[in-house]
Amino acid sequence: MRIRACHLYPDLFNLYGDRGNLIVFCRRAEWRGIQVQVDEVSFGQKSPFIDYDFIFLGGGAEQYVDIVVKDLQGKGPYLLEAVEKETVLLGIGLGFQVLGHHFSAQNGTMFPGIGLFDAHTKARPDRLKGNILLEVAADLQEEVERIGGVPLTTIVGFENHSGRTFLGEAKPIGNVLKGWGNNGEDKTEGAVYKNAFGTYLHGPLLAQNPHLADLLLARALSRKGEVKLDSLNDELEIYAHNVMKKRLL
Amino acid sequence: MRFRVALLAGKLVNFLCRFFRYSGTSLPGGVALKICPQLIYKMAPAYDQVVAVTGTNGKTITANLIAHILRSSGLSVANNYEGANMIAGVATALIKDCTLNGRARSQVAVLEVDEGSVKKVFPAVQPDLVIVTNYFRDQLDRFCELDHNITLLRRVMTDLPSTRILLNADDPLVVAAGRDHSAVSYYGVDGKQSEDKTGDYDIREGKFCPDCGNSLHYHYYHYGQLGDYYCPGCTFRRPVPDFLACDIKVDDSPLDFTLTVRRWNSSSEGCSAADTVRLRAYIRGFYNVYNILAASSAAVILGVSEKAIQASLLDFAPATGRMEGFIYRGRPCTLALVKNPTGLNEVLKTILRKEGEKALIIAINDLAADGRDVSWLWDAGFEMLDNQSINKVICSGRRAGDVAVRLKYAGVPLSKLILEPGCRESLETLGLQGAEEYYVLVSYTSLNKYAKLLQKMGKDVVRGADQGMPSLS
Repeated sequence: MRIRACHLYPDLFNLYGDRGNLIVFCRRAEWRGIQVQVDEVSFGQKSPFIDYDFIFLGGGAEQYVDIVVKDLQGKGPYLLEAVEKETVLLGIGLGFQVLGHHFSAQNGTMFPGIGLFDAHTKARPDRLKGNILLEVAADLQEEVERIGGVPLTTIVGFENHSGRTFLGEAKPIGNVLKGWGNNGEDKTEGAVYKNAFGTYLHGPLLAQNPHLADLLLARALSRKGEVKLDSLNDELEIYAHNVMKKRLL
Repeated sequence: MRFRVALLAGKLVNFLCRFFRYSGTSLPGGVALKICPQLIYKMAPAYDQVVAVTGTNGKTITANLIAHILRSSGLSVANNYEGANMIAGVATALIKDCTLNGRARSQVAVLEVDEGSVKKVFPAVQPDLVIVTNYFRDQLDRFCELDHNITLLRRVMTDLPSTRILLNADDPLVVAAGRDHSAVSYYGVDGKQSEDKTGDYDIREGKFCPDCGNSLHYHYYHYGQLGDYYCPGCTFRRPVPDFLACDIKVDDSPLDFTLTVRRWNSSSEGCSAADTVRLRAYIRGFYNVYNILAASSAAVILGVSEKAIQASLLDFAPATGRMEGFIYRGRPCTLALVKNPTGLNEVLKTILRKEGEKALIIAINDLAADGRDVSWLWDAGFEMLDNQSINKVICSGRRAGDVAVRLKYAGVPLSKLILEPGCRESLETLGLQGAEEYYVLVSYTSLNKYAKLLQKMGKDVVRGADQGMPSLS
């Protein structure tokens, strides 16, 4: 079997270990005998997103916001089309914010998003940062079980953002047990629409949360039919996950 | 009056720290600054010269090298050699150097300054010479983003028009930060001998031209984004170095290279004369060529002769209690501080350049001084460790599990990984491994612990001997 993955803006949005998510996604596929072909797509490049099974959009330094927002005005409709056709998408940090209706920068400038998520983001001066623990949304928990993923019901990670995201119709990935989440107020974290996921948990999110990696992998494969994943030896991942979980609880 | 009280308080705290063997090198300065915030402003003018080193990697060793060269040439030097580089650490160094009357004992102050602290420290010390080593990504949660530090330096330097500035020509971020200044000199490493076999693992910052935004092109890379770059869209390019390192020998300690100093002739455009000198120092790691080069260039600017620099480098030992070579269970054991992807990659490259089987400890904590966020482990090229000469890797520290997971996805076989979060336990496990050499790579907060345990359980290597340490702070 073969999966086509796309690393969007790898040269602009490559903050703090985000590329780790792609490494984890690819390895976990390969260990199950599934080949992943990764294409890098940056600004100015046209791409038929609908052909990809998985698109990854990492966090970015704010200096590149202008460039990316401008570029996304062209790419946006194609990304939306791909998500409607079941392409899996993961956006982190700024890569999450640009998927909403609009977001504001520290200096008050408003930027348009591509409107994939019914959500919007406002920047505030203070940053929400630290380790974070979520309880995975119930339907996602059931799905992890169904596909044969690692039986974890929580997500651990690290957040560091000044933007506060408020969800409209979009559903969160989970609710916050420890940490800040989307806005530090309503206990939601991230957003889900069809196969698109957005989150503030930056860095190697999928390494610390192999069940989430498997869920994305299964959905990417499911474009080609119903999926049950072979189980892997996840002792180390579960150990790392539980050390952090225990510390936060 | 306030100044005198602050000074005495600082001296007293310093005495108490030493008495109780508490290694808090920023505490005396911190207390004194609380009493007299203008303390540094009052003390710094007493020095004939103030030299400041800033940047991400190589600050400690570069500042210590400069201090060493100046001392060898007969000057007395005050410096924060233990690497406490925020404003309180700088204050401590000055307090230690002055008499009870507040008179400076030394002629020159050589200060390592944290790249986030230049805003407070530079206006207070009014440096005569500033050296900028490089800009790589450090811990995000402590310093936010790289761009911030670069903007900060540029802004601070505009208020110091008479300060001379020495920049790493090979780093486009450093050049962008300092080139607007009036008195700029550059140092750089010649590219014909670029050793970048493992460079694919590096994260390269500064991909875009600071003037026009085009992607920068490179004739070659040394490591990270350091190399010979140019913008295809405008005139931005690597400046011609005034101080150039070439014919570099890195395979063994000592490091060995030729320094060419270009003397500019003010009446004509060209280079009127060039002096060359062969430099050697007992330090390991290609990245240390940059540090030796930076320090030697600074010394030339400060008026030390090339011959004197050459002689003094030979007896420099980078060990300052933090980075020591040890013999542990009969094997050479190297302790190295790792704190960001580029630094870690350079340490890994240095380790792999040596032949023979090796066993490692990688101990990563996530306390405030380490950086709470350990995501940067995923930007480092641990894939290098998927190598036959690596016997075992012991994952340790508060984030032992995260290190192990990272190594697993880097392709290191599970059979080579040992999970041992405890400090002493990890060393004991290391001592059972039948490798020819041991390496201990640690984040900031466990450095002293490992150094002390290695002193107790093993023995130090004599200064200047063949086991020069990778020093990365």
